[in-house]
Amino acid sequence: MLSIFRLAWRNVGRNPRRTGIVITAVAVGIAGTLISMAIFYGMMFQMVDNAIRTDLGHLQIHAQGYDDDPAIGLLLRAGGKIEIRAVTDDPLTVRYAPRIRGEGLVTSPTASVGIRIIGIDPELEKGVSVVGDSLVEGDYFARPRTALVGQGLARRLGVDVGDKIVLSVQDLSADMTGEALRVGGIFRTPLAELERSTLFLDREEADRLFGLGGGISEVVVVAHSRDQARELQEHLSAALPNREIRRWDELQPMLASMLSVMDQMAWGLYVTIFIAMAFGIANVLLMAIFERIREIGILLAVGLSRSRLVAMVIAESLFVTLLGLAIGFGLALGVLSLLSNGIDLSAWAEGMNAYGMGTQIVPVLSPDDFTIPTAVALLTALLASAWPAIRAVRLRPAEAVRHD
Amino acid sequence: MIEKAAILEVNGLGKTYQTRGVETCALSGIDLAVRGGEFTALAGPSGSGKTTLLNLMGALDHPTCGEVRLDGELLAALGPAELSRLRLHKLGFIFQAYNLIPVFSAAENIEFVMELQGIPRRERRARALELLEQVELGGLGDKRPLEMSGGQQQRVAVARALASRPRVILADEPTANLDSKTAIRLLDLMLDLNQSQETTFLFSSHDPLVLERARRRVWLRDGGIDRIEEEGGA
Repeated sequence: MLSIFRLAWRNVGRNPRRTGIVITAVAVGIAGTLISMAIFYGMMFQMVDNAIRTDLGHLQIHAQGYDDDPAIGLLLRAGGKIEIRAVTDDPLTVRYAPRIRGEGLVTSPTASVGIRIIGIDPELEKGVSVVGDSLVEGDYFARPRTALVGQGLARRLGVDVGDKIVLSVQDLSADMTGEALRVGGIFRTPLAELERSTLFLDREEADRLFGLGGGISEVVVVAHSRDQARELQEHLSAALPNREIRRWDELQPMLASMLSVMDQMAWGLYVTIFIAMAFGIANVLLMAIFERIREIGILLAVGLSRSRLVAMVIAESLFVTLLGLAIGFGLALGVLSLLSNGIDLSAWAEGMNAYGMGTQIVPVLSPDDFTIPTAVALLTALLASAWPAIRAVRLRPAEAVRHD
Repeated sequence: MIEKAAILEVNGLGKTYQTRGVETCALSGIDLAVRGGEFTALAGPSGSGKTTLLNLMGALDHPTCGEVRLDGELLAALGPAELSRLRLHKLGFIFQAYNLIPVFSAAENIEFVMELQGIPRRERRARALELLEQVELGGLGDKRPLEMSGGQQQRVAVARALASRPRVILADEPTANLDSKTAIRLLDLMLDLNQSQETTFLFSSHDPLVLERARRRVWLRDGGIDRIEEEGGA
């Protein structure tokens, strides 16, 4: 068989221009797809990571029934003492933070806005979310009776750092209550929704405001990586029965389904591109077969079996495709290494933030990004060679050897 | 003198081609036997059926009627894979247009057949070089066909045909593209191989240089055997 592969390899080099065009088409196609997918995946992962780092964490622990109705009365008792012990005892936990979640109305001298209120433990929260690091003005709970507001919310209220705002909420007893605070800091995050309608309070202030008596709404947990979320969830579910322990992808199923759609899109894109390439490869192989009819006749005359002839045509197709694939991979890796510091999309900042993305996108490649196109390419090479191979084996040696 | 057994034998052989609904009888009622050590030529004018007969005897084409036997084996009973195996092991071919594989060197062209036969690399390399010496092309093993003259290429084709140690070598107009001096050298080489190694040759040719060297001439006319001339008789 060695001579068949040697012959196939040399045949590939017989018409360098034609082979070069096909290899270039495969290489550019694969590189373009890889680079596009890496950028799309970079955007998606950034969206997911931003959601995890600003709000979701990898897991959240709530009281039973919170999923169906996240009411202020569904609390983890005693500041979540039992839950926090289970979390800190688990080796997969990296950080955690207790939170109070409620809703209310914030009023400034010029506007009133319905908002989400999150009561946080300032020190512990630093470990799980980036709110503390996202201040563009003011301080991070440096003074009592202050609140952090998003840049979007500050704009809607027409307030600045130091301005007075009034919070009105319905407390645990269903009484309306309120409190006057000052804007302590203004933050900016890639999550536009968070920035436009969320206010952060010190947890003790929130507890007093809602009259929770030390109860909390949730414990947010961060593991070493997203991949450990499921295992940690299993541990905590066993340790904390009668609690709702939800992963980030359960809390925001849309993010998970977007990632899944991306995976399917990648397959679709590769299959589409390679189907187009298959016609090009088949065309080149057919031309090569038609140019070599007499030679194929000779090969058959000297005793080459039809199965080996098919193997030769398939090998030619594989060589062209794999060469294109290797060059495409190299090209993509080269371009992506130049983009490893990220692509600046600040010109589209507003649109990007609306989707929870930052303006600096770092392309991401996974091993699947190489294995999927390789598998599809090999399949393409086989399919593309089928027609030329059939044409070749149908040649009658007696006629082929006399072909001009 | 004991008569040798026939290597190739055809009985009642006929071939009809159909082109756009028109039937053309290229060959009919041929009975012929080729025995070991023969140096035989199928002769006749263009269109007499020489090449058709050679193709049928070489298992390159299927007859419309009659039978071809190679070493007693009926070719019509064999499938494509068995015919390939038979061509590989028992037949050698030399064609008019040299027909070497251009991407292989002279030695690789010769080795290719042996590799298909499964002969180990070292052995086939040694035999290829030996065959090149035999056809007076020693030292040209690394040359590609396009770097060689027509005569040299045809001698590589002879070496390739010999490589598989075939029972018979079928040569279709082997001198048609050569000048007479080169043709004489090539034919003398083949005659020498025939005499020294008892290699059996069956030619299809109307070249007088071939016919005057052939010990048996089978004259074809209009798809049938017109007459057979044997050395020392008519």
